Amino acid sequence: MEKAIEIQKQARENVKSIQTYMTDLQNWEAEMKRKEAALNGVCEQDLPPIRSKAKKDRPVREIKKAPENRIKSYDYTAWEKFDVDKACEDVDMADIGPMSLDSKKSQQAKEEKLREEAQYEKERGNTFVKSGKWDEAISCYNRAIELVKDDAIYYANRGLCYLKKNSLHQAESDCTEALRLDPTYVKALHRRAMARERLGSLRSASQDLGELLKFEPNNNAAKKQLDALKARMGTKGAKSKSSPLSTPTVESKPLFKPKIEPKITELPAEPVPVLTAEEKWRTGVGENITVIIPVKKPPHLRSKRPLKPIPIQEIELGKISPEKPSTRLKIIEIEDSLAHGDTNNNDSNKIEETPAKAIDNIEEKGEGDKLASPESVKLISESIVSEKEIQNLVPPVNSVQFMAEWKYLKGKDVARCHYLSIIDPLKIPSIFDNALESDVLSDVLRILHDNTKVFSNKTITAYLVGLSRVKRFSALAMFLSTADKTMLTTLLNYCKTAENCSENVIADLKNKYEL
Amino acid sequence: MEALDTPQIITHIEHNINHSIFDCKWIPCSAKFVVIGTYPKGTGTIKIFEITSGEIQRVKEIERPNSFKCGTFGASSDVERRLATGDFKGTLEIWDLEKSCQVYITKEHTDIINSIDGMGGNSVNCGAPEIVTGSKDGTVKIWDPRQRGKPVANMQPVKGETRRDCWTVAFGNSFNDAERIVTAGYDNGDLKMFDLRTMSLRWECNLKNGVCSVEFDRKDIPMNKLVATTLEGKFHVFDVRTQNPSKGFAQVLDNTTKSGTIWVARHLPQNRDLFITCAGTGQVSLWKYEYPEHRYHVDHQGVACGVPGKLKRLQRMVLSTQPINALEWNKDHLGLAVATAYDQYVRILIATKLNVQC
Repeated sequence: MEKAIEIQKQARENVKSIQTYMTDLQNWEAEMKRKEAALNGVCEQDLPPIRSKAKKDRPVREIKKAPENRIKSYDYTAWEKFDVDKACEDVDMADIGPMSLDSKKSQQAKEEKLREEAQYEKERGNTFVKSGKWDEAISCYNRAIELVKDDAIYYANRGLCYLKKNSLHQAESDCTEALRLDPTYVKALHRRAMARERLGSLRSASQDLGELLKFEPNNNAAKKQLDALKARMGTKGAKSKSSPLSTPTVESKPLFKPKIEPKITELPAEPVPVLTAEEKWRTGVGENITVIIPVKKPPHLRSKRPLKPIPIQEIELGKISPEKPSTRLKIIEIEDSLAHGDTNNNDSNKIEETPAKAIDNIEEKGEGDKLASPESVKLISESIVSEKEIQNLVPPVNSVQFMAEWKYLKGKDVARCHYLSIIDPLKIPSIFDNALESDVLSDVLRILHDNTKVFSNKTITAYLVGLSRVKRFSALAMFLSTADKTMLTTLLNYCKTAENCSENVIADLKNKYEL
Repeated sequence: MEALDTPQIITHIEHNINHSIFDCKWIPCSAKFVVIGTYPKGTGTIKIFEITSGEIQRVKEIERPNSFKCGTFGASSDVERRLATGDFKGTLEIWDLEKSCQVYITKEHTDIINSIDGMGGNSVNCGAPEIVTGSKDGTVKIWDPRQRGKPVANMQPVKGETRRDCWTVAFGNSFNDAERIVTAGYDNGDLKMFDLRTMSLRWECNLKNGVCSVEFDRKDIPMNKLVATTLEGKFHVFDVRTQNPSKGFAQVLDNTTKSGTIWVARHLPQNRDLFITCAGTGQVSLWKYEYPEHRYHVDHQGVACGVPGKLKRLQRMVLSTQPINALEWNKDHLGLAVATAYDQYVRILIATKLNVQC
């Protein structure tokens, strides 16, 4: 009896479930029909390459749209004449990507699709940018631009990539294009300013920054940069005058040659020192600049030879060798040409405003003494440098600045000592990063040792600790000479007695300096 | 109450067609399906039907001089919905059904294309749109609709060896742009697994009886299970997650159906552990693969070896007096299937309570 009821129940259950299923099915039918009506028959996808082609060109995948002269799928006669073999060849010639055979789609919808696609490419490009893969990012943006030609963002982003890759001219032209499309695009302005600055066209760079500040008056970074630029524009000529040694050999050489890649016009040979020396320019202390004037040649005239490596020699700034006495005069000439080339007018007002005033004065003296013997020039400059330079020293931000200054002050221990004393010992690791060399280290130690009193404010201990935190310090410590070590021992003793340094710190330092 | 949860298989609609039918496929994103077959006079036909409130209505028909054998929508997107067909003369065609015209046609096979499968069109990020065809000429060819005329890969026996009739092909393991596997079953019971990324033979075995149908439980995941059905009422379920260098894959063999061929096995798109087999007796059986506690064990040499699971039959039902030669589940609606049989009927099947079988 019970079983019968159960079976009956089950049967009823089954019928019920089938009934619900049927209603479901009907709803589904209706829904499907509605959905189907909404389909328009075309979809474009980001498809992986054809297997046989994949091996050849997997890394760069280009999807080209809209092959021309396509036979309409309803054009039977044309299809009958369709030459499959030829089509195969065509396919082999060019990867035509996914075939969308339906062409009746409205223009607007197509555009929408393209935009979507371009947006997707942009996103991909952005992720590449985040991971620093500039080339991949550029190819993504290229595709995006190919799809949608009137979006400033793609150009500006590609400009950034070129900037990062040091293809400054391309960066500039991309940013210009972006600005043409959207004149209020602040990022593009900023990027173009950077590109122009690094290209050496300081005036146009500062114009860009000025423009930018009009849109964003509170952009402090831009303000700072503009100030730096102005300082640079102001001091540029003067500075090159003061730099005692220019290298005519380097200058006379062509510093760049057109690359094989037709787009890239030139490669600035020394972008890094110019870039990072911003701070230095502001104060007018630093090194000589070699301005590279871009060569504009149509692509077909450009050299097909690869770039020639030119060894960059470091020239000590403070060094004036007697056998090259005439440098100073030459530099004055170059200064003129530079001012001309860059269309920077060094009006004296500006120079008066800049901290480089003092140096300028020196130079004026030098200029006035044109007829004097080089030795006398050297004497004059040196004496004044030692007096005045000290007042104009600024703490360095990176090792390049430090090294330039340090070399400039070579042989002038008082100045070096002063220079060291203005450096915040806590910042030593960040200044040197991993560029501290053992001879510099021993120089520093010697100066610390000889001038303990100067450093009483910031304490010798702090300096020693700071130095010991520089990257790869353990390697440097290995190269310390015995003389250095004796100096260190005295320094540590001084720390212990005069600066009341704790035993722990001393022990730690001893350990680090391998005493 | 286990009985209450047993799925029911019911023939919802039956529709007689006046010619032999070989294959049937749902048109993606619609309540329509195509039926591929041949007229007695030897011409091929593609018919499109639509389900309208419990009725099957013919929407369209395409007739061609050569009999069609098989078809797939696999290599086109759900929006494009291009049907790829193989015919008795070895021609591969891709159809735009809206306009009833071919968009791709190539004849590289010298004999009938027995089986076709497509992959890549309808899912994102799982590789190029590709079609695989298996033919009586013994070759298995991979096609990309973007490359006209020539296959992108061709698997054929070395010169001098007998060319076995390839009865069935299937894609699988296509979980990214590069990986893809093709399995092919041959009339002598050979089952071969080709790795398309490395372009090499990954694995092969012989199932003693001709392999009528192979299918991965999912195409677009790292390969998990493979069902191969054979003559004489047997089918094998391989756990293809773990490949042992010497023993290959773990497998379960079911030979409870004593007679007839198992023509086809199809996994439920909504649940990969359920599949249906269609036998020569006109019976369909719904199976569930039950995984073992551990899917592999590591032997004393430190090599992993797969552990076979168990098969449980959930339901069986005789639908036809003739063999059911094709069946496809609907991707959009759970439990809805279309099946064709040699009795010249196309049937809409519904299976209830599949959602409780988890």
